[in-house]
Amino acid sequence: MSRQPTIPLIPVSRRGFLGALVAGAGALAVASVASSAITEKPTDTIDMLTPEEALAAYEAEIARLRAARISGTPIDQLERMRTDLLRALTKPVTERRWVMVIDLRACVGCHGCTIACVAENKLPPGVVYRPVIEEEIGRYPNVSRRFIPRPCMQCDNPPCTGVCPVSATFTNEHGVVEVNYEQCIGCRACIAACPYGARTFDFGYTYTANTPSAAMMLGAEQAVSYEQTSTFEYSKVHARRDLHDSPVGNVRKCHFCMHRVLNGQLPACVTTCIGRATFFGDANDPESLVSELIARPNVMRLKEELGTEPRVYYLQ
Amino acid sequence: MLKRLLYIAGILGLLIGLWGLYDRLVYGHMHANYGSYVVWGLWVALYMFFAGVATGSFMLATLDLLFDLPLFRGSGRMALWGALVTLPAGLAAIGLDLGHMSRIWKVYLQPHFGSVMAQLVWGYTIFLGIIIISLWLSFQPQRSRWLKPIMAVGLILAIFLSGGIGALLGVNQNRVSWHVSNLPTQFPVFNLTSGVALMLIAIGWFGPQHDPRRTQQLRVLSLAMIVLLLVKGYYLWSDVSQALYQNSSHGAAAINLVLFGPYGWAFWLLQLGIGMLLPLIILTMPIGKQGFAAGLMGLCILIGLAVARANIIFPALSLPELQGLGEAFHGPHLSFTYSPSLMEWAVTAGIVGAATIGFLVGTDRLPLFTRPTTEATGTAD
Ligand code: SF4
Ligand code: SF4
Repeated sequence: MSRQPTIPLIPVSRRGFLGALVAGAGALAVASVASSAITEKPTDTIDMLTPEEALAAYEAEIARLRAARISGTPIDQLERMRTDLLRALTKPVTERRWVMVIDLRACVGCHGCTIACVAENKLPPGVVYRPVIEEEIGRYPNVSRRFIPRPCMQCDNPPCTGVCPVSATFTNEHGVVEVNYEQCIGCRACIAACPYGARTFDFGYTYTANTPSAAMMLGAEQAVSYEQTSTFEYSKVHARRDLHDSPVGNVRKCHFCMHRVLNGQLPACVTTCIGRATFFGDANDPESLVSELIARPNVMRLKEELGTEPRVYYLQ
Repeated sequence: MLKRLLYIAGILGLLIGLWGLYDRLVYGHMHANYGSYVVWGLWVALYMFFAGVATGSFMLATLDLLFDLPLFRGSGRMALWGALVTLPAGLAAIGLDLGHMSRIWKVYLQPHFGSVMAQLVWGYTIFLGIIIISLWLSFQPQRSRWLKPIMAVGLILAIFLSGGIGALLGVNQNRVSWHVSNLPTQFPVFNLTSGVALMLIAIGWFGPQHDPRRTQQLRVLSLAMIVLLLVKGYYLWSDVSQALYQNSSHGAAAINLVLFGPYGWAFWLLQLGIGMLLPLIILTMPIGKQGFAAGLMGLCILIGLAVARANIIFPALSLPELQGLGEAFHGPHLSFTYSPSLMEWAVTAGIVGAATIGFLVGTDRLPLFTRPTTEATGTAD
């Protein structure tokens, strides 16, 4: 049996951990903190910005952008979206409407978003939240290609939630379709019900298990540790240490990186997109970039005829 | 001799199943071949099959214990016993399919009743209770006045639960070949067919040899089976012809997979040939009313029904929801093709083996072909 040794979790907050990574000390941080054990429970939640903090961050960002505009520094659309996002966080939760827009003409098919998502959510082999589907149009040699990133559509009428026998999957207060890992019995009815193939089942694989290793291999311990440390999906702490415990044996899916969003950060797939093809923001804000984009005539949603009302829009 | 062979097969299946169970419990679902795209595999098909046999058997038991048909007097207990051994087999199969078996209590204590699956879990649990109580009552020396009301409730439940299995699939509007309104209405017929098939085996192979009614019972059951097979054939034809008429649809693709896919042989040989045509021919002939042949045809029909359950589930799930999804990301269990793994087969062998042994032990140890006195004044058969 290929069970991993139990390694203590990282006792840093989400923001602290990201800070360590940004400082270029990610690997070292993992190694240094792995030795100090704490008990994280799956019910532990992580911090998120308060409206006051969001407002302060928003005002600082606006001031920075204004200065940049005066000095003629080009402003990246990511900066605009981050400002939009902070503005949304100053509003009550019920007044926000998170949507994603994907510009199919801008996607270059690099799969960067897929990998960013895997890294952000520490997805094991066989679990994927945002594959990029490649479509070939025409017949060889007269072909063109189209790339369709496919996150969870966060449907407003999700067919996946009603079928769940234990209400483990539901639309949360942010409008995101959530899976409660501690509640899910792993029946997979929701996978069968999803028209977009947006859910995958965690079979318990790890990248490090059964891979060739040398006794003195540098970083081997940390690699195992990395796979077992917590993710922060749905703003909760989820370690993945046991083949028989959640999230193994559960259904998993994209959650619009709400743990990042509520901390003023864009979803991992958005920040990493080299084609600047993925947009995220509050559609209830007419000033936001996503509002501008979804008002365009070339917008469409996948399988709209099913009435699922996806929150992911495509520009074509 | 036949019984000994069945015992040996059952024990062998059970032994193989123990290895499969060990693998399943230690390694979780890692060694299964169903995945994130073909999410339900052999065990779900097995669950549907056994649950169908159980509800069908119960329907047959009502001929004796509810409707008092003189011809079937004394066969009720046997039918109930068949239901009692097959329902837990089905529930075991679906239980092992869960990612977190130990959380099954949540379906009882924190259910979402809007979910067909939750309704089925509750329904089958109540149904199991009804089978146990009615069997117990049927063993009482005096016929209890509670038996008929309980059998009546059980009959209604059996019909609804049969339809429920169809609804479990049918509510998925994204699966065109499932999302047809008559799927839930087909299942009670399928399940009644399973029940009649089991009774052909029970009476044909294990029924009291010298009971003068046995030949007549087999004749009536054969006739009922011929009608049921024709209805089943009609359903099959309407499913296939409607789907193929618009050759471009997802439904047509699913039917094409059934007919001409990698397991097309299972459809033609097992589901259609052995499971329908052969019994249709044999049961219309005089030899079909003889014990051994009738039992054998019952077995053939059950095999065909099991394959049919698989053919309802796998092909519908083997079609990508979005073209190119299967190639977009690679990893274990991310495939739209499915063939059960050794572990899945082993567990299946174990469950079938356990059900077979349970059934045989009942025929050996329990007075299954007798019935309680008719009301207070009657005499035991
Ligand atoms: S895309 Fe699928 S998983 Fe996501 S909300 Fe819609 S139906 Fe549910
Ligand atoms: S797999 Fe989990 S979330 Fe999905 S329907 Fe079953 S219990 Fe609900």
